[in-house]
Formats: sequence, structure tokens, C-alpha cells
Amino acid sequence: MKLSLHTLPTVPLEAEVICPDKFIGNSLDAISAMTVMHGNQACSLADFFTLTDDGLETIEVDGDLSKVKLIGSEMTQGKIIIKGSVGAHLGALMTGGEILVTGNAEDWVGREISGGRIVIKGDAGHLVGSGVRGSDTGIQGGEIIIHGNAKNEVGNGMRRGLIVIGGNSGDFTGVNMKAGTIMVLGQLGQRPGASMVRGTIFSTQSAQLLPTFTYNTTYKPTFLKRYLIYIKKLGFTIDDAYLNGKYQSWSGDSLELNKGEILLFAE
Amino acid sequence: MSGSSKVIENAICTFCGCVCDDIELTVDSGGKYITQAKNACVLGKSWFLEHKVEDFPVALIDGKEASLEEAVEAAAQVFVNAKFPTIYGLSDTTCEAQKEAVAIADYLNGNIDTTTSVCHGPTGMAFQGVGESTASLGEIKNRADFVMYWGGNPAEAHPRHFERYAVNPKSHWLPNGKEDRTIAMVDIRPTQSSMIADIFLQIKPGSDFELLWAMRALVKGRAFDRSVEERTGISLDRLEALVQQMKDCQFGVLFFGMGLTMTRGRHFNAGALLQLVTDLNDFTHFVSLPTRGHGNVTGADNVVSWQTGYPFGVNFNRGYPRFNPGEFTTADVLGRGEADALCVIASDPGSNFSAKAIEHIKSIPVITLDPKPTVTSQHAKVAFTTATYGINVPGTVYRMDNVPLSLRPAFDSPFPSDEMVLRAIKERICELRGITSNHKPVAA
Ligand code: SF4
Repeated sequence: MKLSLHTLPTVPLEAEVICPDKFIGNSLDAISAMTVMHGNQACSLADFFTLTDDGLETIEVDGDLSKVKLIGSEMTQGKIIIKGSVGAHLGALMTGGEILVTGNAEDWVGREISGGRIVIKGDAGHLVGSGVRGSDTGIQGGEIIIHGNAKNEVGNGMRRGLIVIGGNSGDFTGVNMKAGTIMVLGQLGQRPGASMVRGTIFSTQSAQLLPTFTYNTTYKPTFLKRYLIYIKKLGFTIDDAYLNGKYQSWSGDSLELNKGEILLFAE
Repeated sequence: MSGSSKVIENAICTFCGCVCDDIELTVDSGGKYITQAKNACVLGKSWFLEHKVEDFPVALIDGKEASLEEAVEAAAQVFVNAKFPTIYGLSDTTCEAQKEAVAIADYLNGNIDTTTSVCHGPTGMAFQGVGESTASLGEIKNRADFVMYWGGNPAEAHPRHFERYAVNPKSHWLPNGKEDRTIAMVDIRPTQSSMIADIFLQIKPGSDFELLWAMRALVKGRAFDRSVEERTGISLDRLEALVQQMKDCQFGVLFFGMGLTMTRGRHFNAGALLQLVTDLNDFTHFVSLPTRGHGNVTGADNVVSWQTGYPFGVNFNRGYPRFNPGEFTTADVLGRGEADALCVIASDPGSNFSAKAIEHIKSIPVITLDPKPTVTSQHAKVAFTTATYGINVPGTVYRMDNVPLSLRPAFDSPFPSDEMVLRAIKERICELRGITSNHKPVAA
């Protein structure tokens, strides 16, 4: 199914119906008539998109979607390809399937997902793979791969899964983290891992850590090489120095269990 | 009352969050202005004494004078034609008016936010994440023997905070007033407030979180790195002594201001402070309280919370309230160019929001309610002049410790109150939308 934006929304458009689970088994007419919320007005999908049935299950969307929120929300299967940039809450609560965005994404990419994979070729906003405000649990599984930079609070409350940031991450990366892995190939922002209980945060750059993190040792973590080879296959350029290098291991946050680790490239 | 001047006892000052309720106002015999405001501080005095009923038109539509009815009609039309109407401000008006504003947002399936989002919004988020151990200012006045201020300058922003509530008052438990209390301040520079402190920690800018984190580690007896000395500029010896004093006090209080909540780290800074207070409760009784700025910003939090479940940044687009700071807070909604109508009550985003947001304000229909012209009202489609709360309008306001107080206005104003205008707009919206009962139609 192909969707092409013909009318730019003037206010945020909430379009959780753009999701393979909602489309499967429905006719083009039925899909065109599905409800999207343009601010406080209920509209149909066809009011904003031209729909073409190409017989494929993959949903391809193009146009400037930066005001279109909640695409792929609660998705369990299939694939969505977004050619361009996309609005907030992409793939919220997703449990399976794949979303690929060729441009940038706004805040809350992959909020509270527990499976599937989201790939953003450009930059992402705040709170990638986080829980909603008031919840202490972020993603519980799945993969979120950002090729560019991400803003603050990457993986807030994360409990399982993998988040990769190809560029830099903002402040409080891995805050309140319970488990899982966050890999930042660029620079970590301020105060990574604050209140982390368990889990791993990795960066190829040095970083200023909170006083409640203590240095353990410098070593070559075997698992890390596996992870780096894995993300290399996802299309990232990984320098051999990082594959074979040594990493400083830090433990924290001592205010919590002190079982979280931050690995920083040493040499 | 012509012929002799009128005296109003125990009047309430709504200039700052202290909401002092012991002001004695003398109103001139003509009943048009206040000649004396006994007990008020310099800010309060100028608030009362400079208040005059000016000769503004009651309403302007597109800059032209209009009657109240015409303006209400025009405002209702703006609202019902909007897809993402946003209501903002509300911290300098009564709870009764705030209630009407929430009702409008609800009937319209719009967005409502208060100035909390640009001052103590991070505190609201931290309350949600961490919780709040608190007390009334009365309890603090009577019992707190350790008083700490973090990132605020009450001597200039809340001039009677020391005298009325936290530093000087004598009480049964603290018969010698200030001598029985330890006063500590944390700030990035010396201020008028820090001069009265027994302990003053001048920390490096942007290191509040690290300092709070180290203090938490000391309280809990956990490992931490000495590098914090260099990062914050505070020696470990001093920090250890301070934390010991905090643990040893009978009743401690930590007041915090925008120096903490509006600097990098925001809701995590506020959260770290609230967590420190929680940790200290393993050893003694400790409470915290944000020092709120505007007169009734605490009321705005309370009213929006009791009506929607959330304190600010609430969206009704889908017929039920959703809370998400950053997504539904006005500065962000305007900065991203998302709102298609804006109603501002007693605030001036046109003068203090980002350039992008101001640009957007100029491109959409704006409704303003304010006792005086503002930068925002100059761009307004519909601008109402309303009476000033506390001086001309009765109603309820909340003190910074969530204690509600009834206003005792000094004299009448020819202008309607915010509540009257908002209720009239609300009723017209209901007519236009065909809402006859108290129940709005089920949203799509
Ligand atoms: S401290 Fe605040 S409320 Fe009290 S008189 Fe001064 S300005 Fe008014």
C-alpha cells in the first residue's frame, strides 16, 4: 500500500491507523475512510493522503510527515517505510514488525515498545525508547536504530532491548535504566546513566560521569565486539580500533543497585 | 463610601506566591485607588498603590473598540472554528476563572496550559516521578529548625518569606526565632538572601544535579567519586558537615526556586532534590516546597489537576485529557507552529516566548484577557480588559504551600472579571456547539 501526503496538516495529525495490523484484510475504500484526528477534528485518511494499492503488504508513506504522529503505533507485524521525516510517537507500543524512516523523527520514537525494529536514517528527538511520563518503564524489547543524533533521555527507564545512536546522544542517556543496551557511537551528553539499576551504556568517546559511578578496570569486553559486528551489518561504519580496542568499565549508579555499567573506549 | 476613606483589614496580596493575608488597605474616599497598604513589602506596596482603574475600552476586536457582547461572540467564533485551540496563562487570576478556562478547553477538545510550564513545570514532573513530602508554611514556621533555600532569592522575589514563614518567626518550638534555626543557601552567586544565611554554598553553575547526587550518596552512605569537589566547587568536608547537620535536625525544609528547575537538567534537578528529601526521611523529618512566583500559579496547578488529573500541559483533542510536557506545553506547541488559535489569560507570551513562537502567535487569531494592554494583546484579534483579581475581584487563590485563601477586594472596577468573560464565552461556545447539558457530546 502506498500513501502520499497531498494536504499538509495545519495542526498535528494523529494517524495511528497507518499500521499494517489495521490495513491487513481491508479494502482500499475501507482504508481510505479510516479515521485520523486533525487536532480536535475527526477526518478520514483520504483527506490527507492519496492511497494506491500496489498489492504489497508493506506500507510506503511519503511527504512531509513532521506533524503526523503515532504512525505504526501498536504494530505487531509487517513493515512501514517512511520516505521523509516523521512526527512524534513513531511506533509507540510496537511489539513486532519493522519501521524505516529515511529522514528525521521527532520526539518519543519507539515509546514503550517491546519488540520489532525501528530504523531512523536521520536524527531523532528527545525520549527515544522511553516510557511515558509517570511510568518508570521504557522499552521492554526490540531494537531502535538511529543513524544520526538523538536528543535527551534516550532509553529512559529501559528494561530490555537495544538502542543504537550513530551520532551523539543528549543529556541523561539511559536514565533510570533497568536493563538492556544503549550504544552511542558519538559523544554521550551530560549525566548518562543517572539512577540506572542495571544495563549497559557504551560510547566510543570519553565522557564525564556522575560522582556515583566508580571505575573498575580497562579491558576488552568480548560481547562488545559481537555487538559492534552486529551493528556494522546494520549499515554503520565501525572503525577497527573500536572492534579490537580496550574499554574503561565504570559501575553505577551507587544510589541504586550499582549494577549498571558504562563502557567508554580507552585505546 | 464617598466622604470617608475605607479600610480593609486582612486583605490579601497576590503579587507573589507568598500571598500575604495580613495587609491593611486604605481606600481613598472616592473609592478609586488605594492610599495605604500596611504590612505589605515593597513589591506588594507598589502592586496595591500603583493600581488605578484606567480608561481602557472594555474590549477591542482587531484593534477597534467593541462592546463586551460583540467581543464574547467574536472570541467564541475564534474558538469553535479552531482545530487546535490553546489556552495559556492563568497564574494571575482566581481559581473560579481558571475553572471556566478548563471547561472551555474541555468543551472545545482543545489544549490547556499554565505559566507553570515555564517556571516550576519540571517540579510538577518530578512530583509525578518521585513524589512529594511536604508541609504547610504554618507548620514550617512553627517547627522547622533547619531551613535551606536552593536556587532562589526570596529576599528579592518573595520579600516576606523570611519574616512571615521560614526564618524570623518565633513559635512555641522555636522561641528565639532565627537563632533557633539554621539557614542554609545554595546558589551560583551571592545574593541578598545569601547574606542572612548561616551556611552558604556557592556552587559552580550547572552543577546542582552533581551536588545533590553527592549529598544523596552521603546521606545513604554510598560510594561516590571525589571529583565532585572540583565539579561543584564545594569541598567534601563542608558537604559532609552540612549533610550531618541535615540528618541531625528535628524538622528540615528545602525550598527551591527556578535556579534549580529552569537550568540544564530541569525535572531531573527537581527530582534529585525531592529524592534527597526522601532519603533524609530515613533519619529525621524533612519536607520540600517549591517557592512559586505568581500570585495564584499554585491555584492554577490545583484547579487544572482536580479537573483534568494533570497540573499543566493538558490536551483534550481526543475528548479525554492527556498530559505530556514538551508535546502539549504552550511554548512548544507555538514554537512548532501547531496551535491555530490562542487564548491568553493574564500573561504575556508575546514578550517572553522564543522568536519562533512569537512569530507563530502573530500568524494565528489570539484572544487576550488582561487588566492592561500587553505585547500579546497588541496582536490580538479579541482583547478584553478585565478587573484585577485581589484588588477589584473576589475569589480564591492558593498560597505556594497549597493553602487556599479567599480574596478581600478593595473597590469595584468598571471592568468584568476574567471569570465573567470566560463564563460568557463558554456559554456561547456551548450554544454554538449545541451542548445543552453539562455533558459534552462523545468525542470522535
Ligand atoms: S511577600 Fe509577596 S505576597 Fe507578601 S506582600 Fe510582598 S509581594 Fe505581596
